[in-house]
Amino acid sequence: MQFLKKWLKYIGKREEKSLDSNELRLIFQNRYHNFKLLLNANNRSLEVMTEIEERLRGREPFGMTFIRSRVTRVSASVFQMIQYLNNLSSQRYLKLYSRFRDIEESIRQILETKITTTNAPLVIPMDELSRDSINLAGSKMATLGELKHALGIKVPDGFVITSEAYRRFLMHNDLISEINRLIQKTAAETIDNFFALSSSIQQLILNSRIPEEVEDAIICQTNEMLKKHGPSLTFALRSSALGEDTLGHSFAGQYRSILNVNPDHILQSYKEVVASMYGLPAMTYRFRHGIRDEDVAMCVGCLAMIDPIASGVVYTKSPFESGEEDNILIHSVWGLPKPVVDGSLEADLFVVSRREPFDITSVNLAIKDVAYISLPEEGVARVEMPPHQWDIPSLTEDQMKELAGIALSIERYYGRPQDIEWALDGMGNFIILQSRPLQVRGHEKSQDDQKIRKPFNPEHVILKGGVTASPGVASGKAFVVKRDADALRFPDGAILVTELALPRWASLLGRASAVITEVGNVAGHLANVAREFKIPAIFGLSGATRLLREGDEITIDADERVVLKGLDAIPLSERETEKGMMIGTPVYKVLYDVSRLIVPLYLTDPDSIDFKPDKCSTYHDITRFCHEMSVREMFRFGSEFKFAEKAAKRLVTEKKMQFWILDLNDGFHQGAVSPDAQYVRIEDIASIPMIALWEGMMSVPWGGPPPIKAKGFLSVLAESTINPSLDPAVANNMAIKNYFMISKNFCSLQSRFGYHFSEVEALVSERTRENYASFHFKGGAANLDRRVLRAKFIASLLDLWRFRCTVNGDALSARIEGRDIEEMKDALRVLGYLIIHTRQLDMVMTDPQSVTFYREKMLADLQKLCNVLMPVLD
Amino acid sequence: MQPQETKYPQRTLKVLIVDDEVAYVDVLRRRMQKRNVIVETANSGSEAIRKLRESSFDIAIIDLKMEDMSGIEVLKIFKKMDPDMPVIMITGHGSEEAAQNGITCGAYDYLMKPCDFETLMEKINKAVLNKRG
Repeated sequence: MQFLKKWLKYIGKREEKSLDSNELRLIFQNRYHNFKLLLNANNRSLEVMTEIEERLRGREPFGMTFIRSRVTRVSASVFQMIQYLNNLSSQRYLKLYSRFRDIEESIRQILETKITTTNAPLVIPMDELSRDSINLAGSKMATLGELKHALGIKVPDGFVITSEAYRRFLMHNDLISEINRLIQKTAAETIDNFFALSSSIQQLILNSRIPEEVEDAIICQTNEMLKKHGPSLTFALRSSALGEDTLGHSFAGQYRSILNVNPDHILQSYKEVVASMYGLPAMTYRFRHGIRDEDVAMCVGCLAMIDPIASGVVYTKSPFESGEEDNILIHSVWGLPKPVVDGSLEADLFVVSRREPFDITSVNLAIKDVAYISLPEEGVARVEMPPHQWDIPSLTEDQMKELAGIALSIERYYGRPQDIEWALDGMGNFIILQSRPLQVRGHEKSQDDQKIRKPFNPEHVILKGGVTASPGVASGKAFVVKRDADALRFPDGAILVTELALPRWASLLGRASAVITEVGNVAGHLANVAREFKIPAIFGLSGATRLLREGDEITIDADERVVLKGLDAIPLSERETEKGMMIGTPVYKVLYDVSRLIVPLYLTDPDSIDFKPDKCSTYHDITRFCHEMSVREMFRFGSEFKFAEKAAKRLVTEKKMQFWILDLNDGFHQGAVSPDAQYVRIEDIASIPMIALWEGMMSVPWGGPPPIKAKGFLSVLAESTINPSLDPAVANNMAIKNYFMISKNFCSLQSRFGYHFSEVEALVSERTRENYASFHFKGGAANLDRRVLRAKFIASLLDLWRFRCTVNGDALSARIEGRDIEEMKDALRVLGYLIIHTRQLDMVMTDPQSVTFYREKMLADLQKLCNVLMPVLD
Repeated sequence: MQPQETKYPQRTLKVLIVDDEVAYVDVLRRRMQKRNVIVETANSGSEAIRKLRESSFDIAIIDLKMEDMSGIEVLKIFKKMDPDMPVIMITGHGSEEAAQNGITCGAYDYLMKPCDFETLMEKINKAVLNKRG
């Protein structure tokens, strides 16, 4: 009864209640239950950590939603682990709660964002704008003010609705909380999910009231403008978001600009431009570029609408290396510049020398039979042009030169190439509508690569021509988008083939691997975004939507302006490899900062005196601590209480190795083992995972340690003298403690063979989804280099059997899960074999011949062991 | 700049907007009227069917999600009553399936709500032109 009293004291229950063995069994099962829950929670938290580490490589886009949801998930799992550990240890680890709260609070502070309002102006007229206004007016509007005042360049009259007005709008009726609630609720992590979210947030914004003071300020400015310019004045509303138009992040065309707005509709249109912050293209763009929603504030420019004769876009330089470095490119159409930026019409292209007197290098005329003009009341219309204007240049040579001069003066002022939207008014004046840094994309390939580039087979050419809108090579299946509904089915990695280079297709660029359009030019928004996304694009390739069919496997070489048959028409080595695009972005920084409190593991040594709750400084530390203690607590139950029925029994084996088995519940065949028995035979074991593991361990006799070369042996000796944990006495002592904990579906093996520590845990049942096996391996007697090589060696084998492996120094972690019962058994056989046969392999790791020999032998042995799970061999 | 003639329908367009979100319909109507479009609105499926029975339209815009009957049902009935009238679906809850379904049932195209007004107008013009051409 001694153990019972101890137990009762331990769990703080009233002593008078006597417990029979059934009650004890219930307590045990409760403990075991908590242990299993803890293991599950441990898996979940480690999975999230792996996911976070994967994203930290920066190759895949993610947003704040990803970070918030993963933080929530990992916090919940870690908290549960603490609960389960305390449940199974009679609340012995309550200190963990306060460590958890501290870490959680630090993470919360990193994630917290607060919008605050100030007394800054809600609107600013054009006359008062300069580059100093950038934080209130956004760079687009601040630049226009600067051009007007510093360079005397003509820009449209108007005013800006400031970032302060935007913040007040978001704060009004707590709109921002409602937006954030929608974002968290939808948990949109993939581009597909953005669709519904985008729609609901935009509608929410459109249905919200603008605060009165902001409304008053806008109406007051509008009336001032009407007084100045007459009652027929209409407006162009342009987004001028903070962070927009900076180099590398042009946001080209991602936000809405609304042309020819009637003054009656200025408030509604303002809301539409603000709502476009959550339009599909803008959300995709931020997601891909790692920009947080809170990094953006939507300022809106309200400019007097111009009714131009001709208009377009000037690049003061070619946007990529194309032999046009010394030239200015002018794209020009009749009427409004809309079709140049949205790629819906062909434009004249005038190439003008950058050197005075600005010689015209080339003139490439488009058939300009239609144009966009402003309607009298509101809106724009597509109209047919008089035939004599169809094929004449939309600018005279003098006008081209004048425009080139203005463009270069802007480039000189800002010290870098510019992308300028311009209009020529009825009086013959050039008016600058917008100027932003031009994205110049160089080829990432070196000159040497260029030389060895193999020519493609001309027979493979399907289409040729057009213009390089964004350089590069890509291949994939063609997908023709003819209407918006088609876009819904757009598959990942497909090549977008469409008629017009419309800016709204930008929302597909997160998924597309290349773009081909029949109409469009390099100055359009879509081209801009393709260059920023580093997606190859050929525009103006007529016949593309007719000749290419959905599912056609093609390769596009945008530099050569050809579309080729087949996926591998150009060797992979010729292609640019994707860089870690997220690195350096604001979202990345947040994930990095947060991950420092989650991912690193400082509590590496469970035998150290520092292995205690106070020393947990990350979530990983807590999970490691909980996991280790839960295992110890599980063993405590059997050894401390001498619970006859459950005590560990020694496995009868011919080997010298000692294996002790603790039956957790139904690990033995019913009636096969008497409660008092000290020994148990392998035939008595009912544990599915243990039997499989054991089969692997015993399948092939171990040939003993590999012959040690003198140098290798010396390194073992040297290591032993400096690493006390390698003291053979300790190792021997521990060798006795090879413990199996089993139930019918669960098995845990903690073993230490000589210098090698390994740990296998597995849950195998008919419930495929819960099945898992994890393997941890560490140690060895050779020096660190060889131990690291050995860990990598084992990982390379496990990898073939589809284990997910992580090698960290000489420690290897591997796991496999969600496989059916037969596959899990094979996986455990593989682990069993490797536990036995990789012992002391570290000794020969520096000898390539031995490595090859062992690898081949082991591969052959392992293949014989498996029934269903076969290795993935090259 | 003096255009010679408009390429798109000369005659005034007549549009039926079917959506139970009154505020949104109101904005659409006011904007279309500024562009000389004749707008009829229906705030429910049954009202829409009544209006189509009484008059004919160049095009109908139908919200996929309404209280009394789904936009798809309205679309199917419209297609029986006037098979030649193009229908553009607008979807506020962004269901891909619903949009696909609409296309299968004969809708000309769909737009995500809230849609860019100019895009909607272009789509309307294209659909009407398509029908005549």
